[in-house]
Amino acid sequence: MRALGPALAERLEPVLGTVERHAAECDEKAAFPTQGLTAMRSSGLLGLLVPARYGGLGGTVPDLLAVSQLIARQDMSAAMVFAMHGQQVAALVHHASEELRERVLPRVARGDLYLGSVTTEAGKGGHLLSSGTATRREGDLIELDRMAPIVTGGAHADAYLITALAPGATSEGQVSLVYAERDQLDVQVLGGWDPMGMRGTHSVPMRFTGAVPHDQVVGAPGDFRRVTVDVFAPLAHLGWSACWLGTAAGALSRTLRLLRSPEERRRRDLKSELLLTRLSRARQRIDTVQAMLSHTADVYGTLSERERGGAPWQLLVNALKVTASEQCPAAVEELVELVGLRHGYLRNQPLALERALRDLRSASLNYGNDRLHLANGSLSLLDQETTLV
Amino acid sequence: MDQAFTDTLRPHLRYLAPGQELRPEDRLRDLGLNSMQAIDLVFDLEDNCGVTLPDDQLTDANFETAGSLWEAVQHARSAVVDAR
Ligand SMILES: Cc1cc2nc3c(=O)[nH]c(=O)nc-3n(C[C@H](O)[C@H](O)[C@H](O)COP(=O)(O)OP(=O)(O)OC[C@H]3O[C@@H](n4cnc5c(N)ncnc54)[C@H](O)[C@@H]3O)c2cc1C
Repeated sequence: MRALGPALAERLEPVLGTVERHAAECDEKAAFPTQGLTAMRSSGLLGLLVPARYGGLGGTVPDLLAVSQLIARQDMSAAMVFAMHGQQVAALVHHASEELRERVLPRVARGDLYLGSVTTEAGKGGHLLSSGTATRREGDLIELDRMAPIVTGGAHADAYLITALAPGATSEGQVSLVYAERDQLDVQVLGGWDPMGMRGTHSVPMRFTGAVPHDQVVGAPGDFRRVTVDVFAPLAHLGWSACWLGTAAGALSRTLRLLRSPEERRRRDLKSELLLTRLSRARQRIDTVQAMLSHTADVYGTLSERERGGAPWQLLVNALKVTASEQCPAAVEELVELVGLRHGYLRNQPLALERALRDLRSASLNYGNDRLHLANGSLSLLDQETTLV
Repeated sequence: MDQAFTDTLRPHLRYLAPGQELRPEDRLRDLGLNSMQAIDLVFDLEDNCGVTLPDDQLTDANFETAGSLWEAVQHARSAVVDAR
């Protein structure tokens, strides 16, 4: 992972402090990291990916990944909130009309707009490119009534990017991405959130009803696929992987600090071959993900939009997601075995391995690995040359 | 677009009504083709139309419309003829 420049590191510092102070409590109560979000707002980091001409920090995708990873060392939920907001911002930057960008991006840069993501739908699960929600065009407005089973930070977001069928769609694949602000719609939270991990994401079921101006469609009507291929899917997989990597790296770092403390050194044999081998394996898994993540991010930055639609790139970025979602929890698993019951299994211990493991358990489910393996199997068949990017 | 080509495409387009004509400008994804099925279509084009699309032609752009896919098929055919 490329190191963060000093200016960004300085902005990030108070965010990290705040997130760290509240991580255990947010997990305990399954509460959104409100203070963390406030710190992200005032740090300017919500506008990390907003180009300077709209008042943003003009950051890059590697910057987004580095910041997400560092936040995830303290709290994976808060990191996910940040990474997914970044994905929404990138979609606006690259695919919203200039008029919409001028209206929205300066407010994102000021920290006034935290963006939620609404793609999952009951019935289709995680399948991004289809929708069962019809919309209607009424003059200049698009009317929608969208149920959303799981919206990270949904109760706290100021605006949303929502997928739904384009008005008049004749097939389930004609999906539009619609930008909607909280006060433009009737926004209801339909239930609570009490999961195994990722408790701080406060990912609640919601319903969005009302109408938004037609010019708030991001990308061409019915062509969410293009936004997905170009920005949404790559940034989801890159961003999530950065969060998982950060959580695993944070867990290893805390474990090493414990092992090296004078008290622990007296109690343990740091020359134990089992201990050394376990540390090595955990580190190896983390470095594997780190290598794959930074390579994939580099490749993403060099590809044209057309190449992002090709099999070799999609195979790589899907494989990154699957690999990171397997190796990061496996690394923490290794650490739990190493430190044992007290530091590894009890709740609210300084190492927080138990929380890291619960949080990381979501990784394979967050856009199901099974789904990605099927996609990658088909994509492999389309690439008989086996072109490696 | 010849008959063999449109006959090959039709079973992959579940939103194309029986008897509805397939036009070059029709967008294949709007008619129900998804990326998971693309490989089946490639196999059918090989079996029914005797044309193998090289990997670098299996792009989103070539699968955009019936016409763009037809052009890719024609291109692949003429490339084979040139090579002889
Ligand atoms: C912490 C967290 C936060 C989230 N936040 C948001 C959010 O803010 N907004 C949002 O829209 N979504 C969000 N999601 C949802 C996420 O993006 C995925 O859509 C969701 O996790 C998939 O749900 P699923 O397992 O029910 O669905 P499915 O994708 O349907 O998968 C269910 C299972 O069925 C099997 N399966 C189903 N279909 C296939 C197939 N075609 N091929 C192979 N196997 C298949 C697989 O075994 C899979 O594990 C979040 C998820 C998590 C865990």
